[in-house]
Amino acid sequence: MKRKIVGVVSGKGGVGKTTLTASLASLADKDLMIQVIVIDCDVDAPNLAIILPPKDESTIKKEDTFTTRKAEFIEDQCINCKQCIDNHFCEFNALKWNRQNSIPITDFLKCEGCGACKVLCPEHAFEIHRIKSGEIISYNNIMGFPLIYGKTQLGSTTSGKLVSDVKDYSTNIMEFEKSNLLLIDGPPGIGCPVIATISNLDYVITISEPTPSGLHDLIRVIEVIRQFNIPFGLIINKSDLKSPFQDDFKKYIDETGYNILGKIPFDLAIPKAMSFAKTVVDFDPDSKASLAIKLTYENLKVNLWSNSLI
Amino acid sequence: MSKRKPHIICITGGKGGTGKTLCAVNIAVMFKNEGYKVLLIDGDVENPNTYLLLNATLENKKEVLFFKPKIIEGKCSKCGICAQNCMSNAILHVKEAFPIPILTVCSGCQLCYKICPEKAIEADSKTIGWTYTTKIKGLSLMFGELKPSEARSVTIVDALLDKLEEIQKYNPETFEIIILDTAPGAHCDVELLIDVADIAIPITEPTKFGKLDLIRIMELITLLEKEFRVIVNRSSLLGFREQFLDELEEENIKILGDIPLDSDIVDSYCLGTPIMDENSIYNKEGAGYRAFTTIYENLKKWLEMI
Repeated sequence: MKRKIVGVVSGKGGVGKTTLTASLASLADKDLMIQVIVIDCDVDAPNLAIILPPKDESTIKKEDTFTTRKAEFIEDQCINCKQCIDNHFCEFNALKWNRQNSIPITDFLKCEGCGACKVLCPEHAFEIHRIKSGEIISYNNIMGFPLIYGKTQLGSTTSGKLVSDVKDYSTNIMEFEKSNLLLIDGPPGIGCPVIATISNLDYVITISEPTPSGLHDLIRVIEVIRQFNIPFGLIINKSDLKSPFQDDFKKYIDETGYNILGKIPFDLAIPKAMSFAKTVVDFDPDSKASLAIKLTYENLKVNLWSNSLI
Repeated sequence: MSKRKPHIICITGGKGGTGKTLCAVNIAVMFKNEGYKVLLIDGDVENPNTYLLLNATLENKKEVLFFKPKIIEGKCSKCGICAQNCMSNAILHVKEAFPIPILTVCSGCQLCYKICPEKAIEADSKTIGWTYTTKIKGLSLMFGELKPSEARSVTIVDALLDKLEEIQKYNPETFEIIILDTAPGAHCDVELLIDVADIAIPITEPTKFGKLDLIRIMELITLLEKEFRVIVNRSSLLGFREQFLDELEEENIKILGDIPLDSDIVDSYCLGTPIMDENSIYNKEGAGYRAFTTIYENLKKWLEMI
């Protein structure tokens, strides 16, 4: 079967991306036709490792990434000309003037490491350094298949680049060649890390819940997916939520004719499974939620492989 | 009412969907009910939802512009200095050809425009999102929206913070309470908002995911040297409340309050009528209503307002 790279996104956070990704991964692992690799690209809050911990601690591989750049001010070189401030070298307001000492100070958080100050300063009083932007962790998890995830260095500001690094890393591991499904747990939102997650995917799964914000954020993330021209399918989580918004939600989904991969009813089996750090399909395989997720998995397979040569 | 500078409170959380916006809106509403002048800023520009929870309309739309280099071919000598100096590799230059900007990776630093010896690069701009300001139910609401398929959410957050800075500078007495609602995660947008606040309130839930993300956001808040207290939302989930609160206490994490599962909260969330509204249609003896009242009292004590 041709290898497919599939990402799970939602716009709104907390609607069940990680829970469902872990369940789908477990089903894929039990499927004799599928060799799965799972990737957690929610680099700000990677949580998949809680459900898929390593089989053997000694096999964990860690690699630091250094894609973030920051400016450093070299006081010895400075002649206090103040050009950096007067001529507005920095578009990110990361340069401020320290009147007491007549020197510029750099704001670490705001600095994007673009190098403008370094190039523009006539006295070469700025240098650009790479700093640790995060780490990539990989191992074979308790179910056996590889899990790869990224984790940002707090304060380093570049989640999007780390997402791309994590994706690249996963195509270079030994298991990649014989794999035919890469399942990516994505970050919430629609910004830089989401765009980095969905670029070059074969298929996107979007998850939503029947609330106004769930729908609002779903519409926004679908707009992004469409810009990339990637086929997508929708999973409705907490589909039977007692919400006064149910009718509006149904109406919208019906009118758009979106491809529905599955509807997962509200089921306490999910948080229960979570509390034991298990996927719901392993913890309580006959629960309402598990049966719905199994159906969803079958639908996903049809969507991924029915139109291509197996 | 106090004449000191306004309290700036940042509601954040790391994990998505823990109830940040729910708490931000209801805390803002409770201050407003007591006559305070309140500004609510929704800094989740990727998915601004406060206006949905308040049933507000989009007003005073203002474009947020972002730098776009424009090559003036008549002036360009094809020297390639722009491309050589662009750290983002956002300008493609092949010998003897005009440089081509690649907008998707451009950081907007404007270095190319500033260093071109022929002045052949103009600072053009494109719209990457919008900001809105509106008044709703006696609250001032300010929020930003990133245009879908644009990546630079931080520029929209910056635009909101510029507005805040302007208010603080020229009309510092306009507001007594400023509430900031952040995006999930711990990236630059969230950092900037926590950084301008006086105190932070991370919202979490009693699950393993909630706990892990809480620890991460606490690290970020500590890095930014802010005081914080935690709200545990959906605290009654599966009876984990006591255990979770005990765990936090053991780790010396201060708790502002907890909110149990409550159908009034779900209804108020979906209908855009905050549960803590002055003329709330919801049960004032209900678990959700009482939880928010306690949180509000604890918050005022923390801010030394009572």
